[in-house]
Amino acid sequence: MSSHAATIAAAGHIAPGTAGAADAGRLVLLRDLKLAFRRPGQLIQPLAFFAIVTTLFPLAVSPELSRLRAVAPGVLWVAALLASLLALESLFRDDAYDGTLEQYALSGQPLTWLVFAKTATHWLLTGLPLALLAPLAALSLGAPPQSLGAIVICVGVGTVALSLIGSVGAALTLGIRRSGVLLALLTLPLSLPVLIFGARATELAMRGESFVAPLELLGALAVLGVTLAPLAAAAGVRISLE
Amino acid sequence: MNWRWFHRLGSPPYVYALARRLTPWFGWLSGLSMLAGLYGALLVAPADYQQGEGFRIIYVHAPTAWMSLMVYTTMAAAAAVGLIWRMKVAHAVAASCAPVGASFTFAALATGSLYGAPMWGTWWQWDPRLTSELILLFLYLGYMGLRGSIDDPQRADRASAVLAVVGVVNVPIIHYSVTWWNSLHQAPTVMRFGKPAMPGSMLAPLLIMLLAFTLFFAALLLVRLRAEILNRERTASWIPEVLKS
Amino acid sequence: MSQFLDMGGYALYVWPAYAITFAVVALNVFWARRLLERARAAARRRLGVGGGEGA
Repeated sequence: MSSHAATIAAAGHIAPGTAGAADAGRLVLLRDLKLAFRRPGQLIQPLAFFAIVTTLFPLAVSPELSRLRAVAPGVLWVAALLASLLALESLFRDDAYDGTLEQYALSGQPLTWLVFAKTATHWLLTGLPLALLAPLAALSLGAPPQSLGAIVICVGVGTVALSLIGSVGAALTLGIRRSGVLLALLTLPLSLPVLIFGARATELAMRGESFVAPLELLGALAVLGVTLAPLAAAAGVRISLE
Repeated sequence: MNWRWFHRLGSPPYVYALARRLTPWFGWLSGLSMLAGLYGALLVAPADYQQGEGFRIIYVHAPTAWMSLMVYTTMAAAAAVGLIWRMKVAHAVAASCAPVGASFTFAALATGSLYGAPMWGTWWQWDPRLTSELILLFLYLGYMGLRGSIDDPQRADRASAVLAVVGVVNVPIIHYSVTWWNSLHQAPTVMRFGKPAMPGSMLAPLLIMLLAFTLFFAALLLVRLRAEILNRERTASWIPEVLKS
Repeated sequence: MSQFLDMGGYALYVWPAYAITFAVVALNVFWARRLLERARAAARRRLGVGGGEGA
């Protein structure tokens, strides 16, 4: 068990209450970031997947930008959704294997908060880079340069919701052999509203129209996710660890 | 308030005996009311002014759609009870609901498609209600998939219970989608506050069919619940007596 | 009678809809009953109890 996990467990005993929790959350976040950067190859994978998937469409549909522009919003979001899903499998897996997750559950710190910290890290490592990569993909699919800033914002907000929704499925399928397809089956139905509103916002932005309404709905989904998903995911983690 | 009935429902042998006694009642009542509803739907109700005889599809589409939502809500409620009070029987109820709900969601989508084809000119439309009903089907399948993937029965119960509760947010979305968004699907005519917007001769068979299918679900649930309880309780002492009769 | 079967021209939609619905109803009846029969048979085998008809 790493020293960080031990510190988190100790923090729970020394200082119960919100002060300890904030430190614990910060420690979890920093630990996850540190561990992730030790394996940069794994970090790149979802991004590479995103890039490859978006490349498939010009090859399969048509190289003409005018035709690609019509499907660009949908392609972007489906690719982002699938890339996010790919990264979700490892959200809890490594910590479950080496016992760290169990320490988190026993630490006396609110598991909901620690799970939220892990999910936030997941977004920082997957969602945020996807949001920054999306403009490049959008350009390759014929998006006008003026819309690129809007695309970053939409994908950024949408991936927050995706990470949160996905954390629930990841928690429930912990330890199941070859859980990839099941995780997708559980996560995709709940992610469809994000897909719908995100694609709509991107489409409006590409046309130069106001995309505020769907963006607000995306934001509402993200906020709803922040309040409810960590609770459900923490419950799922406890159930999976029993 | 006397909670004894609630605690008694936590006892598998009690529930098994109760289910066995009630099943014939629900079975026969649902069969008879389905026949009555069919008679009303096909022979009594007048044809619609705009939709002609095609409107009669509503007498199977509305009940199946109602089933898909009602069964999921029952499943989620039972799952929540199972999670909160750690009641095995509640988890057994939830498990029994899923296949029934999934099959009727499929029927709702199929009959809806058959209804939409002549009326809207399209077999499918990605509008909010149809899309969220499709999501409901995926939720049922995900629930059954998750249950099937976990070997430990207790863990399977509790993990799928969390999933059922999380997914219940889809149910109000389906119901209110036609009022919140501009939808191809018509607004609620029956399940809303205030008077239903349908004449009596058309409404009566619809209500009878809705009742018939609800009773049918109860009968199915009672039969499946008995099977679940037998499989879960394995070698409990009360079982041999029950099997002999 | 043929007018009834024709359903004002909508026969292609109305009858399959009713057929699918009642097929699902029948399927559920058989499925549930089969589950219970199997559960009873398995329980009998497990506990070494003699056979018995009834619900």
